[in-house]
Amino acid sequence: MSALDLVLLLPTLPLVSALSMLLLSRQWGRAVVRISTTAAAAAVAVAAVLMWLKLSGREGVVAIDGSWGSLLVDPLGLLMAAVIAVISFVVRVYSVRYMIEEPGYVRFFVLLDLMVAALFVMVLAGDLVTLLVAWHVIGIALYFLLGHDMRSVAAHRYGFWTFLTYRLGDLPLVLAAVLLHRAFDSWSLPTIFRLVREQPEMTTVGGLPLVEVVGLLVALAAFARSAQILLHTWLPYTMEGPTPVSVLMHAGIVNAGGFVINRFAPVFVYTDWVLHLVFVVGLVTALTGSVLMLTQNDVKKQLGYSTMGQMGFMTMQCGVGAFTLAIYHLIAHGLFKGTLFLGSGGVIKEARDHDGVPKDSMYTFVIEKQPQSPRYARIVMAMSTILVPLAVLGIVHVAVAPDVFEQQGAVVLLFFGWVTGAQLLLTAYRLPTRRPVHLVSVIVLSFTAVVVFYTLISHAFAEFLYPKGFQAQLYEAARIEASTLAVLIAVAAVVALAAVAVSGWAGLRDRNPERQSRANLQRQWRATGYGVLMRELYLAELYVASNRGLLAVSARLNTWLRWG
Amino acid sequence: MIVGIGLFLPLFPFSVVLDRLLAVLAHPLPRVVLILGWPHAGILLAAQLDGPPPAWLAWWSVTTGLVYGFRMLTMRDLNRWVSFLGTSQWTLLWVELIAGVDATTLHTHALAFSLPLALASLECTALDRRFGAAYSHVYGGLASVLPRLSAVFAVTVLAAVATPLWAGFLVLLHILLAAPSTWAMATVLLSSLLWSWAGVRVLQGLLVGPVEDGEPVNDLSRSVTVAALFALAALMAGGLLLTGDLA
Repeated sequence: MSALDLVLLLPTLPLVSALSMLLLSRQWGRAVVRISTTAAAAAVAVAAVLMWLKLSGREGVVAIDGSWGSLLVDPLGLLMAAVIAVISFVVRVYSVRYMIEEPGYVRFFVLLDLMVAALFVMVLAGDLVTLLVAWHVIGIALYFLLGHDMRSVAAHRYGFWTFLTYRLGDLPLVLAAVLLHRAFDSWSLPTIFRLVREQPEMTTVGGLPLVEVVGLLVALAAFARSAQILLHTWLPYTMEGPTPVSVLMHAGIVNAGGFVINRFAPVFVYTDWVLHLVFVVGLVTALTGSVLMLTQNDVKKQLGYSTMGQMGFMTMQCGVGAFTLAIYHLIAHGLFKGTLFLGSGGVIKEARDHDGVPKDSMYTFVIEKQPQSPRYARIVMAMSTILVPLAVLGIVHVAVAPDVFEQQGAVVLLFFGWVTGAQLLLTAYRLPTRRPVHLVSVIVLSFTAVVVFYTLISHAFAEFLYPKGFQAQLYEAARIEASTLAVLIAVAAVVALAAVAVSGWAGLRDRNPERQSRANLQRQWRATGYGVLMRELYLAELYVASNRGLLAVSARLNTWLRWG
Repeated sequence: MIVGIGLFLPLFPFSVVLDRLLAVLAHPLPRVVLILGWPHAGILLAAQLDGPPPAWLAWWSVTTGLVYGFRMLTMRDLNRWVSFLGTSQWTLLWVELIAGVDATTLHTHALAFSLPLALASLECTALDRRFGAAYSHVYGGLASVLPRLSAVFAVTVLAAVATPLWAGFLVLLHILLAAPSTWAMATVLLSSLLWSWAGVRVLQGLLVGPVEDGEPVNDLSRSVTVAALFALAALMAGGLLLTGDLA
């Protein structure tokens, strides 16, 4: 037995724990869940040892005898396994007390352990069949975890939405796996990736390029798993499930899209247009998720849409070729979103115990979303908002990673970093404070620290996750023609300027008393737009209606064919 | 001959015969025998053919699978639900038959689909005895009243709708590898999606919801529960052993 065989322990520990709890629950009662927490702690230790082995230069494939059933001990799998080990350990420790009064206490831990085992297998899968099995089982385990309360029809209804979306996402991944097996006569991921590297021009059905078709199918599977636009409605509605499940889902499971795109990076690196599609879908998801988050008045839905926005940004990072940044992003998002969910119960209790939030200026700013009137000259605000983040991003990248400006994808991300920094400063100007200079200084320093850390960690991740130069190849695969980029930037600028001009014009007309009726009309339009956003673009209603329509057709068919 | 095979590896409209037979038979034993034996008769008949059947039959079979999968969505009578699922799954064996897969493998694959269905049929009888009928969306909340029967039923449904690691999932992969075109693959995959969808609808209509008032009913005994779960575990292990080789 080699040291790498330790990797088998990662899925085995939770599986054995689940089985032991089932067998011993009658004798031990609720104390049986200690097995789960002990197994979780052991998994953290195993993940740490494996990471140390990887840093010592050891990696490879651990295979069970057969055509499939292998685990891949590589940097991506080990990193994700370490994250899952830590988050699932915290979730299980948290659940010991949080779920104590719930019926089906032991069943919850059994399902949790099965889910964790499937997550370990997914990130470590060394072949396509193992990956498919784990991918599929996660959807099923999540359905039962979300519907843990068997009396709650609502929990099961929304769990069903999740399940159906996940099953939809399973189909393209299965199809991709079968096409790859037909092309290369192997299920093994390392073998397939080697053969893709040797024959990137291989074609598949209809003479289409294999890498493009497989890339598209994998991207579609990732979109469903990571709640991308049109496949996102399940995410904000799954809050009926227990809080620990929300943590595991928002901090881990929903990140599977980013993981699977990274897993198939050796395929994506030879694609032509798929990454552009990934970028567009990610961008639209990030914008839609953020806008919908701002228009919801339910805190849990806000968190759901916040996750959707973050997943959009993560997908967008993949779309510009910044695969390693996407991994960093999903880990960072998992940690902060998990913390938010774990703390949400305490916050709600605090709010219930101490009702009567003072309606001061901070309340109107945060809750009622009414900004303070500006205290600085507009020109100072405008210049510093634009220039300070630009300077921070430029200086940090010149100092830490000067070659980043050669990568088109990295520049696109820097643009978004710049917009984020500008937004941060704009918000800072409107925050109520007695020491505005101190506040802005702290925010600029924090922003600088984040940018430095982000740059360093992305550099470190690129070194750790992929062979030397591979990240640059991914950026190259995502690159578009300079002329096309120029046209896109020009169009975006024109749209942005038009939006500013129209809103300014509308504001001017609003102040003209002679045009009051038109102003009223504009207000109505704004209210309608806000209403549409508050109702989440009516997508949930559309899907429910489609579902009912399909069921009606099925029932009609059964009536017609009642004889058989 | 093709019509004869189409009767046992059901192609619509010949599939009606199996559905009627399963609807008529009230006793569980002949139902189980029928479920276990029906597709094998088709495979034995197919062995008499000189060569593989014509390729266009693959389209007929995957369409039959899709239609019956779609019909399952709103079928509340659980016995007919099992019958529809069997039709939707066994018909897909045509794809392998046309691809020239040997008879022994086909028999194994037919069993992989049939065994969970036979178990489900027995559980329908258990429901029938307790409530007078095996219907979903009529009496809900069984998970709270009959936790053992609910657990066994839920796991059986998972096995029947080709969830990994049960053999149905692996057979599905074999069928996909043998499919003549991407469209046929997509249709097979859509059928599998409909099985899962219908499976979850059945579970929701039977197990979920508040406890309803009514006469108390007995749950499965501990020994029967253990036996059923052991059978399902054995199905998984046996399936992996017999259908797991995807090389």
